[in-house]
Amino acid sequence: MRRRFDTATLVVALPFLAFVGLFLLLPTVGLAVKALTPGGSFGFSSLQRALEGSYRTAFVNSIALSVTSAVIGGVIGLLLALSLRSMQRPRWLRSTTDSWSAVASQLGGIPLAFAFIAAIGTQGLLTKLLGFVGVDLTESGFSLSEFWGLVIVYLYFQIPLMFLVMMPAVGGLKKTWSEAASIMGASSGRYWRSVALPLLVPSFLGGLLLLFVNSFAAYATAYVLNPGAQIVPLLVRFLLQGNVITGEEDLAYAIILWTITLLLASLLLIAVLQRRTAKWASS
Amino acid sequence: MGIVVKVLRAIFLVLLGLFFFVPLLAMARFAFQSVPVVLLTPEKLLEGWSISGLIEVFGNPEFQRAALISLQLMVLSILITLVLLLPVAALVEIRAPQFRTAMAAITLLPWVVPPIALVVGVAATFRNTVPWFLASPYSLVPFYVLWALPFSYRALDAGLRSIGARTLYEAARVMGASTFTIIVRVIVPNMVGAIIAASVLTAALVLGEFAFAALLLKETLPTFMAEFQRSEPRAGMALALAVMLLTALIIWIGVRALRKRGMDLQAAGV
Amino acid sequence: MATVLMSGIRKEFGSTVALSDFTLEIESGELICLLGPSGCGKTTALRVLAGFEKPDAGTVIVGGEDITSLPTAKRNFGMVFQEYSLFPNMTGRANVEFALKLRKAGSAERKETVDRLLTITGLTEHADKFPHQMSGGQRQRVALARALASQPRVLLLDEPLSALDAKVRDSLREEIRRVQREVGVTTLFVTHDQHEALAIADRVGVMSNGRLEQLDPPRALYERPASAFVAGFVGTVNRLPAEPEGDRWRVLNRSVSAQATMQGAHLAVIRPEQLMIDPDASGDATVTEVTFLGPLTRVVVKSSGQSLIADLLTSEFGGVNVGDQVRVRLRDDVTDVVLIEA
Repeated sequence: MRRRFDTATLVVALPFLAFVGLFLLLPTVGLAVKALTPGGSFGFSSLQRALEGSYRTAFVNSIALSVTSAVIGGVIGLLLALSLRSMQRPRWLRSTTDSWSAVASQLGGIPLAFAFIAAIGTQGLLTKLLGFVGVDLTESGFSLSEFWGLVIVYLYFQIPLMFLVMMPAVGGLKKTWSEAASIMGASSGRYWRSVALPLLVPSFLGGLLLLFVNSFAAYATAYVLNPGAQIVPLLVRFLLQGNVITGEEDLAYAIILWTITLLLASLLLIAVLQRRTAKWASS
Repeated sequence: MGIVVKVLRAIFLVLLGLFFFVPLLAMARFAFQSVPVVLLTPEKLLEGWSISGLIEVFGNPEFQRAALISLQLMVLSILITLVLLLPVAALVEIRAPQFRTAMAAITLLPWVVPPIALVVGVAATFRNTVPWFLASPYSLVPFYVLWALPFSYRALDAGLRSIGARTLYEAARVMGASTFTIIVRVIVPNMVGAIIAASVLTAALVLGEFAFAALLLKETLPTFMAEFQRSEPRAGMALALAVMLLTALIIWIGVRALRKRGMDLQAAGV
Repeated sequence: MATVLMSGIRKEFGSTVALSDFTLEIESGELICLLGPSGCGKTTALRVLAGFEKPDAGTVIVGGEDITSLPTAKRNFGMVFQEYSLFPNMTGRANVEFALKLRKAGSAERKETVDRLLTITGLTEHADKFPHQMSGGQRQRVALARALASQPRVLLLDEPLSALDAKVRDSLREEIRRVQREVGVTTLFVTHDQHEALAIADRVGVMSNGRLEQLDPPRALYERPASAFVAGFVGTVNRLPAEPEGDRWRVLNRSVSAQATMQGAHLAVIRPEQLMIDPDASGDATVTEVTFLGPLTRVVVKSSGQSLIADLLTSEFGGVNVGDQVRVRLRDDVTDVVLIEA
């Protein structure tokens, strides 16, 4: 019989757990405590103020940005997975997309923002090319530092991430299911409605939440494109870098506590969806 | 499948390909062609190409300092990841599988507390109690190890499972080997691919992380890049492209290392 | 119920010919097994009948109607696949009911049919489980109920038992046969397992290289194989030289009758149970293996360089050991044999 607590495992697990506790949990708890004790005594005033005025705007903007880039990226990522599913040829396409997605889902940050500035910034190559065919990007009101500019740049890592999430689910659709459906008299539309899509929905929703979390926390790209954007990550920078009246630090803690709560809720929801998928997964 | 669907699919794939390729192309042009985009005409397409800007960056002492720091952070992060995480992952898999779920949950925590959130907590806790800790750029290492966890743990875990670590362990146990010997002589040599993958994913993360370093005012490669581009747009762009390609190469090596052994890079958490 | 006539079917995949001039007739209510090694074209034949593959040449006629280019969904067939064909997002009951919904059956009729089919297939208590909560045998029962739900003109079974444990396989095989008789549906069953084919089919078609080598009732197939391939594929055989002797033939020093339709040298196909082993110190055969199989004992001997297999009733087995010299002869009741080309 295996002992409940394995000594060797405990010996190597302790430093690891201490590490996570010291560098992740301690600071998190520390900021939670500060957020809940504005001015030294317990209270919710900071948490309340963190959702008012311009801070509220930042949350609304961040959520809108994350939801938009998650939904658009999610749909395109799903379509990409579905497009490649039934394609045998050209052979290289599938493996290239797989590898590229693994790479691109991790790209982001400073270089990505630069790439888009070079392409569709005011002095961008594509901006110029579009000018040749009579489309004036700047005149049309498009700007990389505005909402839709950020969305487009975020799609660069959101689409591949969704592709990575959906590929196993899409690949898991067995050919026999569509054959069984068609021999039972189902049209291919009916098969997708009744069988394939219900099977993809949990992964898709889980993927959307992951994309949401991913873009909510993104900092570097937004920082380069528009350091003054009213979104949560940049607001934190503003509060943290001392541009604040004394006493406003509590507000930064409160904003972060709300952010953590939001992300935690999203990830718990993913776990719930996964449990639902597990109901079908093993068959 | 109907011809219409096929055509639509082809158009969709081409557009998507352009979306991913054009920014890189524009970046390369900006970085290596000294013709401003306003003056660019079809006749001038081949004029003024040079990589001297990039070469100059390499000579910049500030760049060298930042790159060296990033390199050191990278190596230290990988080492700590392997020393701290590999034994836990291996022992949980072979001797205490009941803790697998707990490990999976713990290693996902960094998704809940992203850099932009943790930096506030770190400032709140460490700045007053141990100010010397945050003075050194090496204080970034533990946090980089943490953010790589969702990826590094999953790579190691996939490796352990694909080699059937528990069976190997039991087989070696029957032959009388100690747990330590088994991990060092049997498990580790068999999961080189997963170890490479975990290492390069950590490396890629260190190479790209900006928020934490910037907010703690540390000069790493990404923070240098952001500053440098303001004064030297062309060379800055070249550097960013080089870093991007380097990151892509690093991740690609990791994906290959996993694929060669029949595993795949998983999106963490889903 | 309907008769099936597939005639002159040709199907190529790239450069490989999966079916060439394949012709098969299935009578109404009959169960035919297509048997053959992997790659022989049996699955392709079934998939052409199902409409999943379009033949390059030939016609498929069901109940007098040419359905060669009719889409699968309009054929009103039922099919049980090898495995994993149940929709994982539906319970067993919902899987069966889905087939009825597609045929626009009313809800009362649906419930009645589903209950009846679940009873026939012995699934009543597992009907509300999801596929992954069921055993392999239960899943295939649901698949069978689902395939029969729309009262198909033809039932197709593509190796439905090959993913199951031996014990479940045997009982489900009997079950399929019973249900098929009860419903009376024309059935094509594809398998690579000869025991399965011989046990379940009205007639067995043995295939090789995209052609139907022989189509006969199981017993005739076993006793009168039409070719060396069929003889070798169905059951175990010994091939012994046969010498012409007037209008009779001499095999193992016994004169037997046989029909030779071919020219040239011939071999007699002798089943292991048709051989007898007598202990004889001056015999020309040496025992190399003795295996106890319960009611039978299998003895392998080496005789003039050739290995011969004999299955003796254990009750008649004289007790020879490995290394003993013996004499091999035909059993007394063997008076005629099957000849194949050498």
